[in-house]
Amino acid sequence: MKILNRLIKKTTSVLPGIWFLDPPRNVSLDGYRIDNVIQYTDTVITIYFGIVVLAMLYFIIKYRSRPGHSAVYDRGDTKKHVAISIAMGLLVFFSIDVVIEGMSFRDLKEAFWNFPTGSDIVRIEVMPQQFAWNFRYAGEDGVFGTEDDLVPSQNQMHIPVDKPVIIQIAPYDVIHSFYLPNFRVKIDATPGMINTMWFQATETGKFEIACAELCGNSHYRMKGYLTVDSEEDYNNWLQSLEEEGLEDDEWGDEDEEIPIRWGWAWKESI
Amino acid sequence: MSDNQEQSFWSKYIFSTDHKVIGKQFLWLGIFFLLFGGFQAMLIRWSLSNTGEPLPWWLLGDFLYQSDGGIISPDTYNQLFTMHGTIMIFWAITPILIGAFGNFCIPLQIGAPDMVFPKLNMISFWTMFLASVVLLVSYLLPEGTAAGGWTSYPPLSTPVGGIPGQGQVFWTLSLTLAGTSTLMGAINYITTIVRLRAPGMEYFKMPLTVWGLFLTSILNALFVPIIAAGLIILLLDNVAGTQFLIAGGKATITGGDPLLYQHVFWIFGHPEVYILILPAWGVVSDLLSVFARKPAFGYKATAICMCAITTLSAVVWGHHMYTTGMSPLLGKTFMFLTLLISIPSSIFFFNWLGTLWRGSLKFETPMLFAMSVMWVFGLGGLTGLYNATITSDIYLHDTYFVVGHFHYTMAASVLFGGFAAIYFWFPKLFGKQMNSAFGKVHFWFSFIPLNLVFFNMMVMGYAGHHRRIYDPTEYEFLAPVLGLNDFMTISAYILGAAQCVFIANFVYSLLKGKVAEKNPWKAATLEWTLDAPIPHGNFASVPTVYNGPHEYSHPDLKDRDWISQSEPMSS
Repeated sequence: MKILNRLIKKTTSVLPGIWFLDPPRNVSLDGYRIDNVIQYTDTVITIYFGIVVLAMLYFIIKYRSRPGHSAVYDRGDTKKHVAISIAMGLLVFFSIDVVIEGMSFRDLKEAFWNFPTGSDIVRIEVMPQQFAWNFRYAGEDGVFGTEDDLVPSQNQMHIPVDKPVIIQIAPYDVIHSFYLPNFRVKIDATPGMINTMWFQATETGKFEIACAELCGNSHYRMKGYLTVDSEEDYNNWLQSLEEEGLEDDEWGDEDEEIPIRWGWAWKESI
Repeated sequence: MSDNQEQSFWSKYIFSTDHKVIGKQFLWLGIFFLLFGGFQAMLIRWSLSNTGEPLPWWLLGDFLYQSDGGIISPDTYNQLFTMHGTIMIFWAITPILIGAFGNFCIPLQIGAPDMVFPKLNMISFWTMFLASVVLLVSYLLPEGTAAGGWTSYPPLSTPVGGIPGQGQVFWTLSLTLAGTSTLMGAINYITTIVRLRAPGMEYFKMPLTVWGLFLTSILNALFVPIIAAGLIILLLDNVAGTQFLIAGGKATITGGDPLLYQHVFWIFGHPEVYILILPAWGVVSDLLSVFARKPAFGYKATAICMCAITTLSAVVWGHHMYTTGMSPLLGKTFMFLTLLISIPSSIFFFNWLGTLWRGSLKFETPMLFAMSVMWVFGLGGLTGLYNATITSDIYLHDTYFVVGHFHYTMAASVLFGGFAAIYFWFPKLFGKQMNSAFGKVHFWFSFIPLNLVFFNMMVMGYAGHHRRIYDPTEYEFLAPVLGLNDFMTISAYILGAAQCVFIANFVYSLLKGKVAEKNPWKAATLEWTLDAPIPHGNFASVPTVYNGPHEYSHPDLKDRDWISQSEPMSS
């Protein structure tokens, strides 16, 4: 009972704010696109569901069984009835499905599947393992798998603000999923294949990285941090890595099953 | 058939070949596992709100997990949600709707003496029983039962995944057995419906319940073998040292592919959603008509829409895998096909509303549950749109939004459809009437808390809460949802407590309930022409069918507002 009381107290203190929780603050260039699709769907399905509920309430009151009221025999299979119900189906399809499909295809083409090209891009290799995130930067030569690759300590990822970031991801052991709530992106890391994704931060700060795919008993605390730096801070951070970052061969303990070397030649087209 | 012979207890109640007895056996099994899986949900909720605190006495804190001091550890938590999902889907919903009501309703509603293959039917139940034993034994293993999620994605569910013990092996074995049982049932149902319909019982005169069960069985017969193949290679990876599904740094043999399992799982897994929900749709369509006292609106269109959804369900599995790095062309195709489902769904949903329109609605307990299915399926279906759309799914995939969505479609719709069926057919199953006041209490105390739990799951998922998280306080971005989490937990306890009302009502009505009339709901389908208890062999003489399944309030009827399917309309 004591516990129950405490629960009730805890709950009532937050009750006013619970009904419309917002997603975490969007700090990515294209996250608004996802929020827009969700908001459009929210609006339209609220209208449709509202109509259905109102109709049901009206029917419940108007057509409730009572003395003197009887049902109208109606099989609803005349051409008119069938045409109306098909029209309803098409109305729903064209007012929701076709619109969100159009929005989604447009956003995929313009943003999520439209990978940035050019020289001013940050490339990072990510290798999750039970239960941590490993990151690898190409270093000065811009080529992965060379002596000057930079590997920060686990779970620490830094990117510069306002610059496109492409990640390639492949896990060491089981499936993980790289999830950045504030950036509205998520990509699975499946053993045996390299996946890729891109995003761009619009403000500086420290954000959480979560694993979204069940990966074992400590899945719940497989957490990393993504720090978005200003250009200058980011370069300083890279500099500090070069000076004191982990060398490949001191990376990981002997008791832990971690590969001494990891990283792969960057795949230009996936 | 040994209809008239004196039967021993064993052949009458245990190894019976009578479809009605087998149906009841499935019902007992399903209700047992419904409570078992539901109790696990309560433990999950406790752990989410009171992470790391010992269980209270009313959640059996003095008995459970004593080696951990009565605390649910992360390992235990993973086992709990794995088995909650597995049990609710394969051991609660499947036996109740498909096993129990499939068995009970199909022969009675089509005017058949029994299933085509009565012995296969019996073997189907006992295979399921064996599967249940294997499943329950897995809880007694020293390291506990499976903990890889109900989807059991490899490599986590293989020896390289790092989950200790043999729970996964037992899980895979028991699911393979359950699938075998389902397959035997499906073959039986399809053959019975095709071969044993009474004279005059055309396909478009079958009750929609039978339509739902028919389509479900077709999907089962087509897709259960596929998941069986997946489970067998998973089993081999677990016990025989093969690496079909293992790749990456832990693989010692090249050529394995974890994605293969995901495809195989969802080729079955998406139709599975419809396998579960089609019987519920059928039951709801029939019940709305009975309690609105008018024919099912657009009966033929509803049946055709159900066929269309059945067909489409086979080609949309990829929408579970948008974040796996799927080829854009494939992703777009799956998205388009998935969204197509909203056309037939809207049409038959509109037909449900049409059935209520100008009816004479009687709010008996089965009707309340049937109408609540419209509510929960409406919400569940509409929220599927977010998950079918690639861009919104990138954000919402693997969050509580998905959990809330499938709890609405699978758990709530199917469970309420099942409750509607239990309240509706109880008089024919047991010859007693269930108490209607307690039924209504059960309804309201299920309907409201259920929405408070499942809707808020979606709210939480929208706020970013990812799935299968033992301790939500780990993340700063989840701080805003913690209060909601506790609110949902209390709602879930109320939902759980309401099921005690149901069980009490069920047991009381069974033992001391009012003896039911022959046709208490004044329904037109064939099972209501029989006196309870229905003898082995059902109909004394094969009925001839004249009318459709929903002839209510026909203008030619004088002294009553219904006419049985086997009664010629006199005029």
